[in-house]
Amino acid sequence: MDAITLENVTKSYDAVTAVSDISLHVRRAAILGLLGPNGAGKTTTIRMIMNILVPDEGSIQVLGQPVSDNTRDLIGYLPEERGLYPRMKVREIIIFLAALHGLTEAEADRRAREWLEKLDLAEWSEKKLIDLSKGMQQKVQFITAVIHKPPLVILDEPFSGLDPVNAATVEEIMIDMRANGSTIVLSTHRMEQVERMCDSICLIDKGHKLLDGELRAIKQSYGKNTLHIEFTGSDAFLKNPAIISLTRLGNGVEAKLKPGADPQEILKAAVQENVSVIRFELLEPSLNEIFIDRTSRA
Amino acid sequence: MRKLGLIIKREYLTRIKTKGFIIGTILVPLIGLAFCLLIIFLVNHKPTHSMRLVIVDNSGQLAQPITQGLDAKLENGQPEFNIVETNVRPASPDVVQQDLRARINAEKIDAYLWIPRDPKDSFELHMRNPDNFSLIGPLSGAVDQAVISARLSERGVHLDDIKSILRGTDLKLMKISETGEAEEKGQSIGIAVALVVLLYTALLMYGIITMRSVLEEKTTRTMEVLISAVRPFELLCGKILGVAAAAFTQFAVWMISTALLFTYGALAAMGMGGTAMSGVHVPISLVLYATIFFIGGYFLYSSMFAAIGAACSNEQDAQQLQWIAMAPLVFCMVIYSMVLNDPTSTASVVLSEIPFFAPVLMALRISLQTPPAWQIVLSLFLLLVTTVVTIWASAKIYRVGILMYGKRPSLVEMFRWLRYS
Repeated sequence: MDAITLENVTKSYDAVTAVSDISLHVRRAAILGLLGPNGAGKTTTIRMIMNILVPDEGSIQVLGQPVSDNTRDLIGYLPEERGLYPRMKVREIIIFLAALHGLTEAEADRRAREWLEKLDLAEWSEKKLIDLSKGMQQKVQFITAVIHKPPLVILDEPFSGLDPVNAATVEEIMIDMRANGSTIVLSTHRMEQVERMCDSICLIDKGHKLLDGELRAIKQSYGKNTLHIEFTGSDAFLKNPAIISLTRLGNGVEAKLKPGADPQEILKAAVQENVSVIRFELLEPSLNEIFIDRTSRA
Repeated sequence: MRKLGLIIKREYLTRIKTKGFIIGTILVPLIGLAFCLLIIFLVNHKPTHSMRLVIVDNSGQLAQPITQGLDAKLENGQPEFNIVETNVRPASPDVVQQDLRARINAEKIDAYLWIPRDPKDSFELHMRNPDNFSLIGPLSGAVDQAVISARLSERGVHLDDIKSILRGTDLKLMKISETGEAEEKGQSIGIAVALVVLLYTALLMYGIITMRSVLEEKTTRTMEVLISAVRPFELLCGKILGVAAAAFTQFAVWMISTALLFTYGALAAMGMGGTAMSGVHVPISLVLYATIFFIGGYFLYSSMFAAIGAACSNEQDAQQLQWIAMAPLVFCMVIYSMVLNDPTSTASVVLSEIPFFAPVLMALRISLQTPPAWQIVLSLFLLLVTTVVTIWASAKIYRVGILMYGKRPSLVEMFRWLRYS
């Protein structure tokens, strides 16, 4: 049984088709990266899974049940448009939302204290939300999404506003949750995070699904056609007909090769021009490159 | 149902814990009490010292009758006025005036009364603090009586004869109802107007509170987090009921304190020697009807205000749209005096049957004169149907609106939202 099943789902607002005929299967105990440019239809898709919006056509199942008001409590949701009552106390607001998801208030209180401890917020628990920094508010938001131990968690940009230390903590918690059998849908623009954490991805643009499947398989299907070169000296050697496209990174370049091109020719050219090569590696394309490639092609 | 309870509880508790609510709930009756006490103080505040008065009589005739008229006593048995001296037709008035002024400034006397040569000219009372109203009244009365009596005497008429001729009759108004007759002292009108103002204020005030509360969840972006846990309809109902619970708490506090105030008010009235406050009693049936119509009207207007809050993204937009819900209420305030004047006219009957006006106007009619049962039942039925339809439509607009940010929707767009699934 899949965690989420979408069958030919379509949703329009007046003249605009936000989601067009999308089918998707998300397996359990996995992390899915839901990717796409701004306005691709990600939020609409998520809202339909949450039963906040109803699809015009197609069907959606969550953990084997058709979506309904009852499936809401099976899902933990961190929406992109998020905020909490600014004048409520941190612990009270966590208890309120946990109770809305079906926990008794005593149990909600116990877990709230546990989570506040875990995320370093214990001393803020009696403060009003408005007195917290943006990053701390973000952590409170995260707690409210996962406190009822939902088997499915949907997180829309969970890392925005978090410093690297807190981002690592949240990442760790997500990996733990997957290990405990939860399924996570992660919608984000941070490709390096997707590459590090996700088992599979689904890429949508302008309401259409462009790509989905296991991340490893997708990358393999592109083959090792990308050169990562770090060097010091002139970059004249990169003007080579074998290189189709070039992405400049902070410490070097990512060069996409023509099919059948020999990377050794490029290395030779670099050596001939007295460039000092620090790193020269033939790799699968980065997810970032796949993203740009697929969305610009569509 | 459990979720609805949680939402009502949160809404109620956060609302009654706000400073504004606590201040409003306690301060309003306190201000009322303060006013009452002030009135009681002013009414009961009687001077304890006689006024030391000098009479300067330039006419030579009026000093004596005026002195006779100033024979009242203070509560402690002393005379109100202590006529220190009477100066009839002084030879040099200016010197006398100067001397009297000096004596007043030296606080030897409190005032002097200047009687003109010709009683048609003004009388003058000179004093340091011309604000001792409790003594100016009797003094002015004594002067009037003396002058009028003198004029009547010239025509050979005695003052007491005129008094007995001019004594007014007593027209009692009797209000007939099913339970018998009761003396009408204008309290029906008083109750009716108070009822209209109360219903109008409460419907408007708590409607706007509901609207603000919905808007707050949008502007703070709490909305989507909430509807990931509850149905929008539950959220809407919880919000309206939570605000209602807070409203009824506030009203209960006000009502109880008003009842207490009335007791004080009655005391004040007795202090004045009048019976202005006695005889005001609000019939239980009216309280019951007014409550029913208020509850109906509350849900009708709150759901409209909630939908407006949901459709807007900021306070300014909401202020522009809120007239839709306010207009019928304001219309009630404009038109109610017409119903008050003639509660049984066709216009009054028709207006009070229209659901948006019924909560105020039907309650008003019931307070004046119980309308035929069918009119009350029909108006309640129409109100109920309209309320249900309005809540349904508001829930639709609410459901779409809570996720919409940006430009304020037009009315046409809001109507289109009704068709969304």
